[in-house]
Amino acid sequence: MDQRDDAVISCPEGKSGCPVVAEIRRLKEQLETLKKEYDRVSRLTECDPLTGLFNFKHLEVSLQREMERTRRTGFPLSLIMIDLDHFKKVNDVYGHQVGNAALRWVGRIWRNGIRITDILCRYGGEEFTLILPATSLKQAVLAAHRLRTSLANTPLVEEGEEIRLTASFGVEVYKATDTFSADEFLKRADKYLHQAKAEGRNCVRSMEDSSAGGETEVLPEERVALFITRWPKL
Amino acid sequence: MAKESKTPVILSLSSGKGGVGKTSLTVNLACALAQKGSQVLVVDGDMALANVDVLLRFTAHKTIRDVLERGEDPMKAVIFVEPNLGVLPASSGVPEMVDLGPAEHVLLGNILSSIVGHFDYVLLDTAAGIGSSVLWLNTFATHNGVVVTSDPTSITDAYALIKILSREYGRKRFFLILNSVATPQEGQQTFDAIARVAEQFLGIQPQYLGCVPRDNVVLKAVQEQLPFVKGAPRSKAAEAVVELAERIRRFKRE
Ligand SMILES: Nc1ncnc2c1ncn2[C@@H]1O[C@H](COP(=O)(O)OP(=O)(O)O)[C@@H](O)[C@H]1O
Ligand SMILES: [Mg+2]
Repeated sequence: MDQRDDAVISCPEGKSGCPVVAEIRRLKEQLETLKKEYDRVSRLTECDPLTGLFNFKHLEVSLQREMERTRRTGFPLSLIMIDLDHFKKVNDVYGHQVGNAALRWVGRIWRNGIRITDILCRYGGEEFTLILPATSLKQAVLAAHRLRTSLANTPLVEEGEEIRLTASFGVEVYKATDTFSADEFLKRADKYLHQAKAEGRNCVRSMEDSSAGGETEVLPEERVALFITRWPKL
Repeated sequence: MAKESKTPVILSLSSGKGGVGKTSLTVNLACALAQKGSQVLVVDGDMALANVDVLLRFTAHKTIRDVLERGEDPMKAVIFVEPNLGVLPASSGVPEMVDLGPAEHVLLGNILSSIVGHFDYVLLDTAAGIGSSVLWLNTFATHNGVVVTSDPTSITDAYALIKILSREYGRKRFFLILNSVATPQEGQQTFDAIARVAEQFLGIQPQYLGCVPRDNVVLKAVQEQLPFVKGAPRSKAAEAVVELAERIRRFKRE
């Protein structure tokens, strides 16, 4: 975009108060205003108006793009599915106004706890999704634990009352060698979220916790256990 | 050759570590099973460094590679060293056969599926390591045999293999063969250690197929290119292998 500033725009005939120059300046200002408005509107189409986080549409687009990037760069891509615990109760007990305030509150807390490259979205209702580019499963699980504790430790105060909120987290990773779709990626993370719900809420679940998959490296404790009988008896 | 389609026991023999006796045991187990009158196929799954042909003294004219790459009839590649003992040979010294890609594994699956119905027992000898082809052959098998010695590196590698297969491929039933043991007690103890750790950390219960003693006839058999169950049927190793074959004959078909 052309970056000439006003100083450059002057009347070629040196007339002060030239009407043509004045018109150009006015048009430039209008253009700036329109550009800002355009940015605002396009942000709106990918933002959730209540929380100011990205919306589902942006999530879909970003996830596709980041998975493509992972296939190109080889860096793992992590995904966290989050659901607020017992949120229906908040709405029932305190009303929808407070419910909405709670959703905004959660968005504010978590936005401060992530990197600028991370993409935090409101998936819908009381569900959130965090996309973590160039992040291993281990790192993502740690990030989820940070989000979990930051929410659990900072209650929302509404009308003098402390409302303690917690959330459950499901974490999954996409590696360059994986071939599943964006849809499947979301489903997998959602499966771990369900596991977190089933196992008591306010917790993080991923492949690392499930016996059906996970790290295959032989751990030091397994090595010790394999050879324990060979140690000389004391 | 029987025309009807059978449901064979497909037993893979893997170990993680190399040189622990997979190929020797595969070949001799195959002979022992064939001696009982079963139709037996050995698939040389060490597809880049084949040596089943060496141990059985035959020359392969067509290999798995020809079948994969040129679409040859797989049954024509099978060499019958006995009327009821066939071998599907592999190529040797072909680096691109070390680890086949997903598409080639699908093809290999189709090829093997088209011929296993002729046999009662299909033994899959595999390469050392935990490469994609080793893992794939283990997923193709109905029964996963793991060959292990009392050597700590062999124990660790066998456990690593079991861990990957159970965690990533959902395999749960493993049959351990303790090879080159000094005494049966040594075999049982090593098995117990592995089984205990597998139960504790992986939640699975490997089964003990048995042990084979350290025996010079095994080495001699390699040098003479004659399986010891034939060349030295009264040796301790041969008796042990015949006993293993008996247990394999009691496997349920599925
Ligand atoms: N029970 C045994 N007693 C003595 N030597 C053995 C025994 N089992 C295997 N060997 C020897 O170990 C070497 C490797 O055996 P091999 O069957 O080729 O192993 P792998 O196929 O696992 O690499 C061979 O020289 C073989 O003779
Ligand atoms: Mg071998």
